[in-house]
Amino acid sequence: MQRIRKHPVADQRPAAAEVQFTFDGQACTGLAGEAVSTALFANGIKRFSEHRKDGAPQGIFCANGQCSQCSVLIDGLVKKSCVTPLCAGMDVRTIHGLAALPADNVTLEAKAPELLHCDILVIGGGPSGLAAAVELAEQGFTVLLADDKAELGGKLVLQTHKFFGSEADCYAGTRGYDIAKKLEARLRAMPNAKIVTNSPICGLYKDRKAGIYIDYARYALIDFKALVIAAGARERSILFPGNDLPGVYGAGAFQTLVNRDLVKAAERVFVIGSGNVGLIGSYHALQAGIQVAGICEILPKINGYKVHADKIVRMGVPVYLNTTVLSVEGNGKVERVTIAEVDKNWQPLLDTARSFAVDTVLVAAGLSPCDEFYKQAQQFGFTAVRAGDAEEIAEASSAIFGGRISALSLAKIMGKNVSIDQSWLDKREVLKSRPGAVIKRLPVQAGESWQPVFFCDEEIPCNPCTTVCPTHSIKLKPKLGSIMDLPYFEGSDCRGCSACVAACPGLAVSLMRRIDEQWSEVQLPYEFEAEAMENGCSVPLLDQYGKFVEDGQLAKKFYNKKYRTWILTCRLSSDNAAKVIGVRVQPAEATLPLPETSFSYLPDDAIVCRCERISVGEIVQFIKDNEVRDINQLKTIRVGMGACGSKTCSVLLPQVFRKAGVGPVTLIAGTVRPLMLEVGVAEILSAGNGSGRSAEGAAK
Amino acid sequence: MTTCDVLIIGAGSVGVPLAWYCAQAGLKTIVIEQEASWGRGQNRAAIGGVRATHSDPGKIKICQESINIIKDLQFGRGIDLEWHSGGYLFVAYDEEREQAFRKLLLTQKKAGLNIDWIEPERISQLAPGVRMNGLRGGTYSPEDGYCSPLMTNTALHRLARQAGAEFRFGERVLSMTLEGDRISMVRTDQEEYAAGRVVNAAGATAAELASMVNLEIPVHPDAHEAGVTDPVERFMEPMLVDITPDQESGNYYFYQAETGQIVFCITPKPQIWERDCDNTSSFLPLVLRRMTRLYPRLANLRVRRTWRGLYPMTPDGLPIIAEPEGISNLLLTVGMCGQGFMLGPGLGKLLAQRLAGSGKEHQDLLDEFTLYRKFEGMELLK
Repeated sequence: MQRIRKHPVADQRPAAAEVQFTFDGQACTGLAGEAVSTALFANGIKRFSEHRKDGAPQGIFCANGQCSQCSVLIDGLVKKSCVTPLCAGMDVRTIHGLAALPADNVTLEAKAPELLHCDILVIGGGPSGLAAAVELAEQGFTVLLADDKAELGGKLVLQTHKFFGSEADCYAGTRGYDIAKKLEARLRAMPNAKIVTNSPICGLYKDRKAGIYIDYARYALIDFKALVIAAGARERSILFPGNDLPGVYGAGAFQTLVNRDLVKAAERVFVIGSGNVGLIGSYHALQAGIQVAGICEILPKINGYKVHADKIVRMGVPVYLNTTVLSVEGNGKVERVTIAEVDKNWQPLLDTARSFAVDTVLVAAGLSPCDEFYKQAQQFGFTAVRAGDAEEIAEASSAIFGGRISALSLAKIMGKNVSIDQSWLDKREVLKSRPGAVIKRLPVQAGESWQPVFFCDEEIPCNPCTTVCPTHSIKLKPKLGSIMDLPYFEGSDCRGCSACVAACPGLAVSLMRRIDEQWSEVQLPYEFEAEAMENGCSVPLLDQYGKFVEDGQLAKKFYNKKYRTWILTCRLSSDNAAKVIGVRVQPAEATLPLPETSFSYLPDDAIVCRCERISVGEIVQFIKDNEVRDINQLKTIRVGMGACGSKTCSVLLPQVFRKAGVGPVTLIAGTVRPLMLEVGVAEILSAGNGSGRSAEGAAK
Repeated sequence: MTTCDVLIIGAGSVGVPLAWYCAQAGLKTIVIEQEASWGRGQNRAAIGGVRATHSDPGKIKICQESINIIKDLQFGRGIDLEWHSGGYLFVAYDEEREQAFRKLLLTQKKAGLNIDWIEPERISQLAPGVRMNGLRGGTYSPEDGYCSPLMTNTALHRLARQAGAEFRFGERVLSMTLEGDRISMVRTDQEEYAAGRVVNAAGATAAELASMVNLEIPVHPDAHEAGVTDPVERFMEPMLVDITPDQESGNYYFYQAETGQIVFCITPKPQIWERDCDNTSSFLPLVLRRMTRLYPRLANLRVRRTWRGLYPMTPDGLPIIAEPEGISNLLLTVGMCGQGFMLGPGLGKLLAQRLAGSGKEHQDLLDEFTLYRKFEGMELLK
């Protein structure tokens, strides 16, 4: 069983009964109620089915109920394993080719779909949706918030790290899942708000109704007056040969498996993309005991916050800049990734190729907004606003403000006399800022009393260290006049309490003091298992950029419960006290390339439409043969005709057209129609035999 | 002024094959289409059924031609259209339907159709699991079938281009100038054209186009929704059609595509006389209730997508194929009543023979589908 029994920050799931099930007849054990896909992973099974077109192995891709690549036969019916709860005795099977339709001759008693009513339907219960729903409920509207996950909070639920931002405004320093609980509690306290979880909206209809797939088992309709689309974002897939192998998936899917479901989904991963998602995904891997062979970034600089990147590098993970992925290869699963540097036209330099042995490749190449419902709502003439990533991709902290602002603008449209606090607008702008300047800090020296040393030198919207300091000795040095400014220690009153060390989301603050001429002590943050570390043990200490400084000696350890962070007090030579900030976690061997580089470079083989398995080469040929300018015409070769409804391939198509010599300006966009995900016929007829709650019962 | 022999307005189910045959016949052919590409009017919404099983000789003749053309593309030229000769099966669960179908068989057989009455036992072989309770039998025409409208129109568009037809997309006709008994000029938002023959193949917008030459034609679109499920292993062969009306709907029909999906459609009651092509929430519960009652095992499928298209209807359910009086160079090929996809290839071939020939060819079709008929009654199998 590949479960994560001990995690330094994530809570263990509430105890669930162990149940027996079978996969292709083989006995397996899982936890009742967990996703079937999770149970399969926990049993070491990553290859779920075979694609009907060419037998290609299929596995987890979105882990989000959207793509259908994880489909398996469960008790004779095709189901998405990532949204089907495990029950005792389930007969789970590989789908070979097309599944047979069960010869079931019992006529259903068809009923009309249940109809729910609300003033405002909020689609999505992440940070912006929750914040918007609270505001609208406070304005007196009846609000129905629908979310496709069992737990509210959207991606916050997967964020086991502490958040940037400001503590006063957006819970900075608090871990993502705890922020979600705080927002949820506010909404649950509103009597005029209903919440339906585990139930995706599956279509908008012109007669001002939305279809909802309750518990992925029953279909109902919602009648609304206006919409808030806060459906978040989805990870952009990218094109490289082997991008369809089981084991290549988004960092978000990985976080679902590792942080939510606590399965050790991989032994060693390689990460594509150095934005915050890729950096944090790498960190989460390490925390789960999974090695990270490296991160590649096609741009010449790190794309995420510098403190995040520094932190990852310190753990022993190399970041390869100006580098792209050439191929992912393996026999039915990921076994090897090959990367290479790019020239100034982004073309790979094949002689710089290096291969790494990994079993998983995480794609963190950016997000695109889930704004289909918004576009449809506009086309249909509905009253609608969007919020959060569906509006603009940014940090969760800014999404909370964005949600409130969108909610109030909607209230205004609907005739309420409200005004939007200018400070909210300002805060949203600051919180979604890209990083600013990197400012060199002056060297500091250890004195007899404790003092903080800051290793954050890039302007980002963040200030928890200033608010947690009991003596108010940490201040932002005013330059921009916002929380983008960098913190400095002012005065002499540091009690060595380590609150700043524990609170810093970037793990970029240490405390130091001199003991004698030769020796000093430092207090360092540590978010890994430290139970087994004993006083006196040797600790490999690293500088800001991961360079080994010296082996320190553990003098004391202390677990800060509020921030779920260990504070390690280490003794080291005074000369180095101001340099160290990290403790090496990963051995260097984990990051070594294979002695021999081995790959075949066939970029036209990259899969664009995963549902129907259509490659770059096939699409380019079709575009040329038929002088295609209208994306809808690609449906002729089934691009976008699969189960996911073009959610994955649509963002990739412009670059495929460019490859065929067609610029993006002349392109006609594809049409989006319901359903947004497949729903059973019996479920639409309210006759499903699933254990679904009724719509009214589900709305709490 | 751009000149050509044939100016076809509408690059859809009818215009595209017509352009192919005209270009093959050596006519300089230009096609003007207001949509961004071919088949984006109503061809995109066709579900793909192609049958020669109709109740009138003209449509039978045209569609027999269509089937031959599609088979030739599929098997002769090796262009995959996902054609499957699954046949059409009209089922009868009551006396009224049985009598009507049996009576029609006489006309259909006389027109040379391969069609016969089959007993419930045979039906259950063709569509295992279909409701046997009350089933009296049905008519089955094994040479009918289905294929992908997208693949078919794309193939025909490519062939037409290769044969020399020119397509102009995203171009809208603004006016047509009548001089004497001729259309002397067709003006679009981009260009002016003078053509030997102007063909109105404008589908759901045919009536507006006709009004530009002061011609009133009884073509009014009504909206129909359709849907598709996830694919499963083949379990049924024919296009199943149930024309028994109930309180909320008229006929409905579905088939299993070559790639395994069930594709389905229904005629709502009352019909929806509008041009809106966005989906409504009433369609799925309405059509699925009837489908699962007829065929219970369909309940185990999953619906993947729905869409909505227009049937350019005439009052009697038959097309208008006409050379209107007083306008010597105008050909109307309009009012396909939702059957443009199956009529298009055959119609294109036959009308191109007339356009390129003496102008007398296939007069039987123009006689039957004249604009100057009484438009009484309604075609039974519409």
